[in-house]
Amino acid sequence: MESLVISKENFPEIINTIIKSYRLFAPTEENGFSGFNIIKDYSEMDLSYLNSRMPPKAILFNQTETLFLMKPGAKGSIKPKEIRNEKTAIFAIRPCDAKGFRILDPVFLGNYVDPLYKANRDNSVLIGLSCNQPDSSCFCTSFGDSPASGKYVDILFTDIEEKYLVEVMTEKGKGFVNDFSRFFSPASPNQIEAKNAKEEEAIKLIKRNLKVEGIEEKMDKMFDHPIWEEYAKKCIGCGTCTYLCPTCHCFDMQDESTLDKGARVRTWDACMFPEYTMHASGHNPRPARMHRVRNRFYHKYSYYPKNSGVIACTGCGRCIRYCPVNIDIIELMNRVSEMEL
Amino acid sequence: MTENPYQPSLATIEKIKVEVTGERAIKTFRLVMQDKKIQEEFSFVCGQCVMISKLGKGESMFAISSSPTEKDYLEVSVMKHGKNTSALHETEEGDTVGVRGPYGNHFDVEGWKNKNIVFVGGGIGMAPLRSVVNYTLADKNRDQYGNLDIIYGARTSNDLCFKDEFAELQKREDVNVHLSIDVVEEGWEEFVGFVPSNLLRVKPPSKNTIAITCGPPIMIKFVIQNLLELGFKDEQIYTTLEMRMKCGIGICGRCNIGNLYVCKDGPVFSNAQLKNLEGDL
Amino acid sequence: MVDQKMLVEVAKETLAREDVKYIIGYKKGSYGFQTSAAFAYTPKDVEEFIFTPLCNKNLAKYPLKEEKLPLKRGEEEDKRKIGLVVKGCDSRAIVQIIQENGMKREDVVLIGIPCPGVINQKEIEKRFPNQSEITDINEINDEYVFTVEGKEHKIPKQELLAEVCKTCEYPNPVLYDVMIGEEVEVNPKAEYEGIKDLEEAPLENRWEYWEEQFQRCIRCYACREACPLCYCSTCMADLLEPQWIRRSVNLSENTAWNIMRAFHLAGRCISCGACENACPMDIPLMELNKKLGKEVKEMFEYTPGLDIDAKPLLGSFNPDDPEEFIK
Repeated sequence: MESLVISKENFPEIINTIIKSYRLFAPTEENGFSGFNIIKDYSEMDLSYLNSRMPPKAILFNQTETLFLMKPGAKGSIKPKEIRNEKTAIFAIRPCDAKGFRILDPVFLGNYVDPLYKANRDNSVLIGLSCNQPDSSCFCTSFGDSPASGKYVDILFTDIEEKYLVEVMTEKGKGFVNDFSRFFSPASPNQIEAKNAKEEEAIKLIKRNLKVEGIEEKMDKMFDHPIWEEYAKKCIGCGTCTYLCPTCHCFDMQDESTLDKGARVRTWDACMFPEYTMHASGHNPRPARMHRVRNRFYHKYSYYPKNSGVIACTGCGRCIRYCPVNIDIIELMNRVSEMEL
Repeated sequence: MTENPYQPSLATIEKIKVEVTGERAIKTFRLVMQDKKIQEEFSFVCGQCVMISKLGKGESMFAISSSPTEKDYLEVSVMKHGKNTSALHETEEGDTVGVRGPYGNHFDVEGWKNKNIVFVGGGIGMAPLRSVVNYTLADKNRDQYGNLDIIYGARTSNDLCFKDEFAELQKREDVNVHLSIDVVEEGWEEFVGFVPSNLLRVKPPSKNTIAITCGPPIMIKFVIQNLLELGFKDEQIYTTLEMRMKCGIGICGRCNIGNLYVCKDGPVFSNAQLKNLEGDL
Repeated sequence: MVDQKMLVEVAKETLAREDVKYIIGYKKGSYGFQTSAAFAYTPKDVEEFIFTPLCNKNLAKYPLKEEKLPLKRGEEEDKRKIGLVVKGCDSRAIVQIIQENGMKREDVVLIGIPCPGVINQKEIEKRFPNQSEITDINEINDEYVFTVEGKEHKIPKQELLAEVCKTCEYPNPVLYDVMIGEEVEVNPKAEYEGIKDLEEAPLENRWEYWEEQFQRCIRCYACREACPLCYCSTCMADLLEPQWIRRSVNLSENTAWNIMRAFHLAGRCISCGACENACPMDIPLMELNKKLGKEVKEMFEYTPGLDIDAKPLLGSFNPDDPEEFIK
């Protein structure tokens, strides 16, 4: 790993230089909250954000995406979708959201490779920005991660007051930094120390902790526990938690067509909706909210870890912050953790 | 360019056979890939599934109901239920559909050689079993398997799928067919009652036997109970499960039972596996 | 302030009734300024009940969300009533649902709370994003008083009050079995003031405004699921055959969804603001609902959720109904 610095005076210029050769996504503020958008100028960027309301997963895994085009009907035909390779940089992605991609990778790049996700992933450089001001729902530290972790990004920026410390984490990151090398200079030990101090401060701001130790084994014994019903009672069954989650990846596929042209489209779907699992026959393997709520938590903390070795939750806190009925994954999972069986 | 696993190949409906008429209509579609090379390379094993779509109406997963020994085509038997299946029922011979697959695991027909096989099917659940029946009965395969017993039922005699084929099978000496319907009907001479009861009546011996079952979830449940009662071990009982599916390749998420995806880790499960599986069926 | 002791006592008495199976009220939330719905089956559960300015969810949704699982052999359906803590708006939701035959009066026992107005959750969390400790808020002399990280804050009520409460004409429950304390004074502020600017804007600007809002809808249906009046067993947005709204999330389909929902709530919305509170994308849904509510009031002199014996507006026809909209 290489540590560099860039001065804040040079910062607008590097961003505007990157924009010339990359599709650059960066946080912007609209309607009072932050979102990742393609920017055309440095000035559009707003770094005074905690995190974007929608996770940047939406950039690599669009909420609505055409899978292929078609001429519908009895003598139908298919026109393949052109997969675009666009050089993309995502700037100021938070470490938790970058980890989200690490969790999506085995799903989309497993035995069957999703060509849309793969093209987006391969063509994107993830440039992280350390979180200096986590809020009351953040809990990335519960997973041994840190608000200033460079583990899941190609390059990590950290605001150390007069400068940004720039840590180059991967080969891809190295290539990127080399392309813009004139903006960077080597970091001094003091500057590296300044980042560590920032990181420590940020970690201190994270007050809530989800006790993950042994949780998978615990859940193996809790499938029929009444706790799922208890939380399902107050769940209203909307898709907020799933759509705002950086690791939720379920989707629907639908044909959307007129008489002579159409497309097979995939859209995000949510396991909280009863239609999600409803068979055409009317049989539903998860007929009640209890089944659906339980499945969501099991997927994150039991099924996914069984298949891929890590918990499918990054501690970004969105599901807690935006749940309209205060279903709080930290509270729930800590009760599971502490449960005496 | 990376292959797009969501994009189907085109196939022509070569033949449509009406199996069941009325409210729970079933038709069997014989499909031939339009690209000769794809048809030649299309190989599958009994129990595997394919995604079929009437373009513009969606896509659904079906068990392949023909046998892998029939090389020039594949068949699926479709009950009219939702948007896509209704559209498929409106198609005519010569029409084009999209086909993706084959997907999922399969029945271990190789490993079952020299064993007896009991088939227990209900309604449209006979479709995946038909693939195994026709495979084991194929000229070159028949002597490699022991006794074959088919226990099959439906709500009414009209709802029985593959009626003409069963009529042919009943004439054969190397396979036993035990049909049933749920309620009494004039002219029906075979068993009246539910499939699990017919199973108990037929009492197939469990020794050196594999039982495979498919049908409505409630039927499967009681069939398994009764098979266990008849002395079958969990490892001798196989079923093939159904779930709502979209991608068919383990990505879209909805067909999970516990940490397994029916589309890719199933659809075939032994009862030994099912017993250890905690999830919503 | 609502007398919480009395609330707990009344709830206990209600729960003790033989014909009540459980009571839905509020309890403290899991962190910060959150509160949560509480389902009380035992007197001990009831002791957790609170009513504070943070109790801003509409609980009237929950009786409709109750899931009736298939009965096991020999099991009988529990037909006892559900107890429900209701503010003015919640009680109006119940009235409206009863009016539409969505539930029967005898299905619920209502514990009425004269509501002094509740806090805009998003606003207070925006002001104090780091508050993880569970926080009590008191309303004292038109100020909200609470402590954050050891420091006491006094914030004028109007700054934090939920938008719908600022113009609420029915803060007192319109239907109840027991009332906790005295009725509160009705806020005289005109109900439709909040949409005046929008109404006066030229058509193109209004369209542009709503395009901007609907553009960011993510179709999570939190608005629908939170709304006590959205209780159709199958929502037309979920239908595939015929498909009225495509699953694609784009301006066209989002607009179709939001406008369809607003129309289905015309003459039914009781202005609780639950949809807007639930919306993760901060779409000002109440502006739409208020506008339609105003049209209904002016054209048909009808206000939803006041009288269980009234006929629902869209379920009644009067030869004298104005028909200016048919041109």
